[in-house]
Amino acid sequence: MRSGAFPFAAIVAPAAAFALSLLVAGVSLWLGGHDPLRAGAALLGGAIGSTDAILSVTLVRSVPFILTGLAVALAFRAGVWNIGAEGQLYAGALAATWVGLGFSWLPGPLHLALVLAAAAVGGALWALVPALLRVRLGVGEVITTLVLNFVAIDLASWAVRGPLQESRRVFPQSEALALDVRLPALWAGTRLHWGFVLAAVLAVALWWVLGRTLIGFKVRAVGSSPEAARVSGRIAVQPVTLGAFLASGAFAGLAGGVEVAGVTYALYEGLSPGHGYTAIAVALLAGLNPLAVIPAGILFGGLEGGAGAMQRFASVPAAWVGGVEALVILCVLAIHQGVRRFGRAARDGGDEGA
Amino acid sequence: MSSSADAPVAVRLRDVHKRFGAVHALRGADLSLGFGEVHAVLGENGAGKTTLLRILAGLIPPDRGEVIVGGRVARFRTPRDAWSAGIGLVHQHFTLVARFTVLENLALGVRWGGGGFALPLRDVRRRVERLAEETGLAVPPDAQVGTLGVGERQRVEILKVLLREPRVLALDEPTAVLAPGEVDMLLRLLRTQAAEGRCVVLVAHKLDEVLSVADRVTVLRGGRTVLEAARSEVSADLLATAMVGEAGALVLGESAATTAVRRPAPAPGEPVARLEGVTLSGPRGERALKDVALEVRRGEIVGIAGVEGNGQRELAKVLSRRAQPLGGRATVPPDPGFIPQDRAREGLVPDFDVAENLALALHRRGEWRRGPLLLWQNVRATARDLIARYRIAAPSTRSLARALSGGNQQRVVVARELESGRDLLVAENPTRGLDVAATAFVHEELLRLRARGDTGIALLSTDLDEVLALADRILVMVRGRLVEVPEDARTRLGVGALMLSAGESQESSSSV
Repeated sequence: MRSGAFPFAAIVAPAAAFALSLLVAGVSLWLGGHDPLRAGAALLGGAIGSTDAILSVTLVRSVPFILTGLAVALAFRAGVWNIGAEGQLYAGALAATWVGLGFSWLPGPLHLALVLAAAAVGGALWALVPALLRVRLGVGEVITTLVLNFVAIDLASWAVRGPLQESRRVFPQSEALALDVRLPALWAGTRLHWGFVLAAVLAVALWWVLGRTLIGFKVRAVGSSPEAARVSGRIAVQPVTLGAFLASGAFAGLAGGVEVAGVTYALYEGLSPGHGYTAIAVALLAGLNPLAVIPAGILFGGLEGGAGAMQRFASVPAAWVGGVEALVILCVLAIHQGVRRFGRAARDGGDEGA
Repeated sequence: MSSSADAPVAVRLRDVHKRFGAVHALRGADLSLGFGEVHAVLGENGAGKTTLLRILAGLIPPDRGEVIVGGRVARFRTPRDAWSAGIGLVHQHFTLVARFTVLENLALGVRWGGGGFALPLRDVRRRVERLAEETGLAVPPDAQVGTLGVGERQRVEILKVLLREPRVLALDEPTAVLAPGEVDMLLRLLRTQAAEGRCVVLVAHKLDEVLSVADRVTVLRGGRTVLEAARSEVSADLLATAMVGEAGALVLGESAATTAVRRPAPAPGEPVARLEGVTLSGPRGERALKDVALEVRRGEIVGIAGVEGNGQRELAKVLSRRAQPLGGRATVPPDPGFIPQDRAREGLVPDFDVAENLALALHRRGEWRRGPLLLWQNVRATARDLIARYRIAAPSTRSLARALSGGNQQRVVVARELESGRDLLVAENPTRGLDVAATAFVHEELLRLRARGDTGIALLSTDLDEVLALADRILVMVRGRLVEVPEDARTRLGVGALMLSAGESQESSSSV
């Protein structure tokens, strides 16, 4: 892994970035008339203040970040600018809910497996159109995946008011999933579910595939230099791009399915408050290294959980919390990328010597 | 070190230092340029020539030392400052917008007077046509730059700088991509520019060109100026020794001898590749290959000479199985070795390490794979072996390709392609941009492969000397056709005449 070869960029940069982002967040809270220390204490307390905060808040919230973070990391490593993790997440959630509410004749474990598989397939299908447009016609995927996000969000909204609405037809949400298609808790009494283990295992698996297998090697070659991959690697670039694109969609779709089967147990309007976008920050902070996506995802999970506590205990209004969150992401990305570039420039000076 | 006596000093760089991270590119370089002179800067790869030129053109600031223009210390913060001081640089790497036409690219470089937002394309076209006529730099004005060959692009780069009417014209290795006739033309152009009172400074590898055009010479070695003298005061031997140092001179002499001594040709074996009546379209939809017939046999080097942009790229594509001919028949062995001319873009993944880059072409080898797995231990073991055998100067198999010098990058490519292509090796300008030692290395490897007798080698090169030195048979590519050079025409003059004249009557050129 490249990021592993350069510990300065892998460890120092994210840490420094995070420290500075806290400073900026504190100043902005102070400017807004809130006590930054109290707010900070609330944030920390909400994220890591107790075993319950860690297990039931931070780790639970980290699951969608890890899965969508893997989706983005894989896509970016393959040279695919998939901005559509949000839409693929919704497509996965929709497919998971539909399969979860039907097929009730299936035995429980098999049904649950089918729900998760449906989520992955749903996400991959949502990525299929942009992937084909990119590979066949050269249409830039940034726009197509972004636009399809809105379509997927509206499709889910329509579904929970139409075909998938709960039987009383009052709330814009689906019927709850039966107990045996829910992801069980990892420890009784906590909300931490097996989806976390699934996300962590997939992160390790993706890391292994990218680093050790031939197909992973091809993905990295195509993503890093398509010309060299084609000419010197004799690699058929288009199938590799297509496959990585669809796999990326599958990871994001799985994030939606795991949210439904592990946390909400039903499809809601507004199921994801932008996880698929934050995923880009998660993946970049992790240096596109799947293993590093785990801690990066946990960091953002804690941030989100802590932000909720900040709202409740330090009476910082929700809008302000959202703004601070966004500021933190911005700081992390700006500094992180800046430091990486600086590190790379220092290391690559040799190119200039000719 | 005397400064130029006969020409007034135009620009002076004094005791310039520049570091890039761990690399000390310049450590006390001096350069003194006079108006009305052609000044050549010589040095091996990594001697700091390009860095010095970039500092002169305001692209990067020096860490220490001064740039003195017209007797005053100048501080160039941006290239624009250097332009204002009358300094124009023709880059070694191209800086053109691929999606723009030639004219649009040229318009980018010109400061146009008057108001309004409209691009003065008509005005630019007129000036370009006049300038092209004066200088003999022919370019197709309405072609997209992305579709042009390297030689054509360079002509556009030179025109772009000349349009600004610089007082100091700096060129970074301008002859590397040109055919002999074009080189002569360029050197004449440089002389004319100097005669008009401009200062011309060029970075070059090739001694003979430098000796034929320069008034003064500065030699860099290891980031320092080791020699500055008038052309009349130095010999080729003296310059070569100054470039490589006393120790290096020995090595050079040795490899030059290897290249010069040609072993008697072994009887070439069976054909490994055969093209019959092959046609293919180029990037602009034109017929790039027309009725091409070619046979490559085991144990021979078939040299294909020609001016850039006459169909060599397309021929290389067919031979390396990257394109199917539109018409005719191409019989090419599966999995030929291929050394692409664009090392950085096509030959290597810059962010991959040496072992990964070697694995690019070799990943289909049985002993490197188990099911879906790449056996990295085996890959790295082979990589260590290749690093030793091909004398690749890399600290380990984990060194990134982008951190290697151009010569060592090419060693990686050559090692990989020589290992992978058992029957056929296609080499497309394999020594472009390499210094003397790295060029000698590539030539030795090609000759060694030929001597083994198992592999047929197709050498496509715009470097006529290279083709003459290495090839058993020579063909010339002109406007998509392949012409065999008779044995009695195997001279610079003979082949050069074929390259520039043949086929001219058949097509009307779209060039200005």
